[in-house]
Amino acid sequence: MVSAPLKLNPVTFNPAGLASVAAEVSAPVCVTNASRVEISLRKVGVAYSAGKEGTKTVLANIDLEIPAGEFVVLLGETGCGKSTLLRLMLGQEFPTSGEVIVDGKPVKRIDSRTGYVPQKYSLFPDRTVLENVMYGPENAHAGLLGRLTPSFWRFRCELREEAIHSLTRMGLRPQDMKKYPHQLSGGMQQRVAIAQALLMKPPVLLLDEAFSALDPSTRSSLQELLHSIWSESRPTVVFVTHNTTEALLLGTTLIVLGRHRDDNPEQSNVLVAEKIPTAQLPFAERRHSAEFRMQHEFLERVAFASSSVHRVEPQSPAQEGCHA
Amino acid sequence: MKTAFHPADLAAIQVRPSRLWTQSLGWILFAVGIALYAQFSIARHKENPEDRVVPSAQQLIQGIKSAALGAPEEDDTVDANAPFIERFSHSMLWKDTLSSGKRFLVALVLLIPAILIGLHMAVFPYFGALCLRFVIFFDKIVALSLLPILFIVFGIEEWSKIALMVIGVAPTLILDTFNIAKSVPREQIVKAFTLKSSNLDVAYRIVLKQVMPQIINSVRLNLKPLALFLFAGEMIAATDGLAYRIALMRRHMGMDIILPYVLWVALLLFVADALLRFTNRRLHPWYQPL
Repeated sequence: MVSAPLKLNPVTFNPAGLASVAAEVSAPVCVTNASRVEISLRKVGVAYSAGKEGTKTVLANIDLEIPAGEFVVLLGETGCGKSTLLRLMLGQEFPTSGEVIVDGKPVKRIDSRTGYVPQKYSLFPDRTVLENVMYGPENAHAGLLGRLTPSFWRFRCELREEAIHSLTRMGLRPQDMKKYPHQLSGGMQQRVAIAQALLMKPPVLLLDEAFSALDPSTRSSLQELLHSIWSESRPTVVFVTHNTTEALLLGTTLIVLGRHRDDNPEQSNVLVAEKIPTAQLPFAERRHSAEFRMQHEFLERVAFASSSVHRVEPQSPAQEGCHA
Repeated sequence: MKTAFHPADLAAIQVRPSRLWTQSLGWILFAVGIALYAQFSIARHKENPEDRVVPSAQQLIQGIKSAALGAPEEDDTVDANAPFIERFSHSMLWKDTLSSGKRFLVALVLLIPAILIGLHMAVFPYFGALCLRFVIFFDKIVALSLLPILFIVFGIEEWSKIALMVIGVAPTLILDTFNIAKSVPREQIVKAFTLKSSNLDVAYRIVLKQVMPQIINSVRLNLKPLALFLFAGEMIAATDGLAYRIALMRRHMGMDIILPYVLWVALLLFVADALLRFTNRRLHPWYQPL
C-alpha cells in the first residue's frame, strides 16, 4: 500500500479547542497517587533488523510518564507499534534504545508486576474457570514443596472463596466455576481472564485488544464492567485498542500512536498524549456528550489518517496520469 | 427430508448415507476379503488336500489351537486336561506375546525421556539451540542401518532390539513433541509468567500439561513404527517373540500359524491404540481437537 504524500499539518497538531477543554479538566483527573509515576518510558526506540534493507524502526523517541491509578488507552492504526509498546511494558520485548521502568524498577523479564489480558488464548484451556483464577495466587503463596503444608490448604480455602467472590463480581454464575474455558463464550472467557489477572493485585494491568474479538453488545457490557472495576480499586491500566469509541469511553488518559516514518527518523510515534476531558462525566453520559463527539471526530482524523475515509486525496498530476 | 436412495447417489458428494448404509458398507470389504480367501483356499485344496500355503478353515482352527494351547517346545508339554487358562498361559502364543510385549513396554518407557527432551527444546531456547540441529540430523539416519552396530555394541540379546526401537522412534517423537510444544500460543507463556510461575512451572504445569493429549496422540501414531522395529530386530536375532515365531514358521510353510499370529499382532496394536485413546479422553476432557 502506497501511503499518500501526507500534508503534515494533521500530524503535528494542537487544536486550540481541545487543548483548552483538556486544560480545564486535567487537574482533578488523577486524584489518587498523583505524584507517583507507575510506568515511565525514556527515549525508547525499537528497531528490528530486516535483512538486506538494514533495520526497520517500529518505535522511536517515546517519552511517556504514566502516573499510578491512571486508565491509559493506547490508540492507533494497525502496525503503528501499539502492541510493541505494550510488550515493552510487559517485558516480552526490549527496547533497542532507552529504558522502560514499571513500578520503580527497569523491566528485564515478564513478571508479576503486570497483569496481562490478551485478545485470544487468555485462559489456560486445561484448567477450569476456578483453577485458572486460583493459579496465580497459589504460585505467589508457595513453591512446589510449600504446597504440602496444611497452612497452604487453609490458604487455598480462603483463596477459593475470594476467587468465587471476584468471579461472581465479574458476572459468572455459580455453575460456571467448574467449566473449562472452551465451554464459555468469548465474553465470559475475557471476564475470567480479567478476574485472573486482578486477583494477583498487580500494580499495572495490561490489556491487549482484550475486547476486539467480541460482538458489540458483549463488548459494551464488558467495557462497563471494566470501568466500574477500575474505579473501585484504581489500578494503573494500559488498554490497547484500535476502536476510538472504546478508547474515549474507558480512558482517563489517551495516547495516540502513529506509524514510524523513515523520512523523519527522529520523530516520536506519539501523536497525542493527553487527558480525556469526558472522563469526568459519569460513564453512561460520556458517549452522548458533545465533547465526546468532537474528540471522536478529531481522533479518527489523527489516528487513522491513512485509512481511505480520512485520507486527503492528493491532486498530483502523476496519479492522474495513472488513471488515464 | 428423507429421499429415496438412488444408485447415482453412490458417486455423489452431496449425499448423507443413512446409518444402515454406513454400517453395512463398512463390513463389505472384510466380507469380500474372507470370501476371496475361502474361494482360493477351496480351489487349492481341491488340487491338493494337504496344501499348506492357503490353509482351510479347519487347518486354521487347528493352527490356532496348537498356538494358543500347545507348548512352544516339544519337550515342554502341557497337560491336555488342565483348565483353559492354565494351558493358555503355557502356550506358545502367550509366551511369545509376553516376551515381545516386555520389549515393547521397556522401549515405551525409555521413550518418555524423548518426550521430555522435545518439551525442553521447545521451551528453553538455549537447550533448543543446542539440540535441534543434531536431532534433525539424527532423525535422517535410517535406524535399521544401525542394527549391525547395535548388535556389536549390545550383543544379540534383549538390549540391541530395545535400543533399535528407541533409536528408531525417539528422534521422530522428540521432533513431534518439539513442534507440538512450540505451537502453544505465546500468550499462554506470557500470562503464566505474569501469574508468578517459575521456569519449571511454565515447562511442566503450563506447556506439558496442555500438550499432553497431543503427545499421547503422537505416541499412538508411533506405535506402528515401534512394532516395526521390534519385528525387524526379532526376525533377525531372537529366540522367542511374535516375529521370531512368524520367521520360524516361514521355514516350515506354517501358514496355519503365521496367519493367526499376524491377526493377533494387529489385534494387540489395535487394543493398545484404543486404550491410549480412551485414557486420553478420560484424562483430558478439556481437549478440543482442531
